[in-house]
Amino acid sequence: MSGASTMAGRGPGFVARLTDPVFLRRAFTHLGIFAAFISVWEWAGRTGRLNDLIMPAPSAIADALWRLYVTTGEIYWHFFVTFFEAVMGFLIGGAIGMGLAIAAALSLTFRRYIAPYAVALNVTPGIAVTPIFIAWFGFGWSSKIALAALIVFFPIFVNTLSGLLRTDRDTAELFRSMGASKSQTFFKLMIPDAAPMIFAGLKIAMTGALVGAIVAEFASATEGIGILMQRYAHRLDIAASIAVLLSMALMGLFLFTMMEVADRRVVFWKHQSRLEAMSRRRRRRWNGPATTTESVRT
Amino acid sequence: MSMNDDSIPGLPKDDSPLWKRAAKHTAILVGLLGLWEFVTAFGYADPLLFPRPSAIFTSFVPLYITRGIVWEHLWVTMATVLAGFVVGTLFGIALAILAGLSETIHRYLKPYVIVLEATPRIAIGPLMLAWLGFGFGAKLAIVTLVCFFAPFINTLTAILSANPAQIELMRSLGATKWQTLTKAIVPDGMPMIMAGVRMAMASALGGALVAEFISSNKGMGVLLDNLAAMLNMSGAFATLLSLTVIGYALYAIMESIEGRVVFWQNEAGLRRVSARRRRSFGVSA
Repeated sequence: MSGASTMAGRGPGFVARLTDPVFLRRAFTHLGIFAAFISVWEWAGRTGRLNDLIMPAPSAIADALWRLYVTTGEIYWHFFVTFFEAVMGFLIGGAIGMGLAIAAALSLTFRRYIAPYAVALNVTPGIAVTPIFIAWFGFGWSSKIALAALIVFFPIFVNTLSGLLRTDRDTAELFRSMGASKSQTFFKLMIPDAAPMIFAGLKIAMTGALVGAIVAEFASATEGIGILMQRYAHRLDIAASIAVLLSMALMGLFLFTMMEVADRRVVFWKHQSRLEAMSRRRRRRWNGPATTTESVRT
Repeated sequence: MSMNDDSIPGLPKDDSPLWKRAAKHTAILVGLLGLWEFVTAFGYADPLLFPRPSAIFTSFVPLYITRGIVWEHLWVTMATVLAGFVVGTLFGIALAILAGLSETIHRYLKPYVIVLEATPRIAIGPLMLAWLGFGFGAKLAIVTLVCFFAPFINTLTAILSANPAQIELMRSLGATKWQTLTKAIVPDGMPMIMAGVRMAMASALGGALVAEFISSNKGMGVLLDNLAAMLNMSGAFATLLSLTVIGYALYAIMESIEGRVVFWQNEAGLRRVSARRRRSFGVSA
């Protein structure tokens, strides 16, 4: 969603900003607020104003993080399992969603008769299918992958479809008048035109895939970060539970950032800095290394 | 803002008569169901896992009529969904207005919002259970949390992307900060705010179901979980179909509320409201 997407597209380079007094002041205020918040929390925990069972102190959470990542290192395997489930689900659901969307974009009839089922799928909470998928696919990884794929399907389907349908009419006319074949029109016009929307859908779907994998793990699993968190919560080891939750946030951020990076690489023309870098590179490739901007214009 | 139009695009109006369209759609549906029935009836798929459509339809009868077990679960889920939706949405909008009014608050709140956004909200479920126990409170808290974000983020975006010329005009006309907010910024951002509210409604049902899966003794999620665990798959499918209908009803209700609130976004609503206002101002049409 938008909150995170505004992270991209910052203006000047990070290093240049380090000397900017306004930036420094703000960074220090951010750190100050964070430190103050943590110390008040820690103080309340130490003096017994907060119940350990309900809201453990930051030091306890840090301790749990240390335990999970360093002493026992037990989180890595669970981390990998959930990551794998989410990514596999994303790939499978994304492939099906995009395939159907392309078919629906190319044929009005298909679009018309698939629409009711797509709507029905969209209004059913995908999560509700969890028990059925567990009965079908068992308690292992496959039921989690299936649920992630199901949740991923709709946003990718609908964004790909509306992206493909939005092709600029004049450009399509131009392609036709220049005798472009159907496949050329599709690959050189429709797909690039739809790419920004497709990526918006992929970004939404990526977070959805993680949610699907985690929820399916809550319902029944033996490994994965969701079941790890639930186990700690049931043991009332809330500090470890929060530590796992923070790791989930980290994984969510990582997956989202991965999509964001892919977006900036593939749809480079939508981001000013990437656009400049790409055109610089292409100019160099086509003109030899020594040319300047001016010589290109002539 | 993120993509939030969740209807199927590119469906031009079909001019053929209604019965023809209905007949075609029905024919396809019946064909699919018939194929499914055939496949399971002749043992190509395990009826224990893939119940026949006819079995699914007959299992609606005990659920809704003869044993009527669905009603109490349905009631609990709907109460959770609606209460959590209302609380979460109001909280989200109110906090966003607070954060949007002051640039300082907004700036220092932003990193936390980004982290919270990346966290799968539903994952906080087990923690909520540990904090609030197995009753209604935890479920309500989970749905509230799930419903909080979309309205919060959309409202904040709407406020921050308000038209500066409009605000300038309000200021030069001597409007107070509150007047600028309620008369210019909020109406201007209403389409985006309503899109957030609609997204919240769409996720509320899912949130309630997850809360019920994790632990509860009543609700549609519990019913579905129990039926699937007993391998009463036809019952589970009937419950799932009921959830589809509920989801569609909630979607349609939100759609109509949205059409009323941001009436200027569609032709029919605009005409309706302007006719009413013309009448109330005493101008004949």
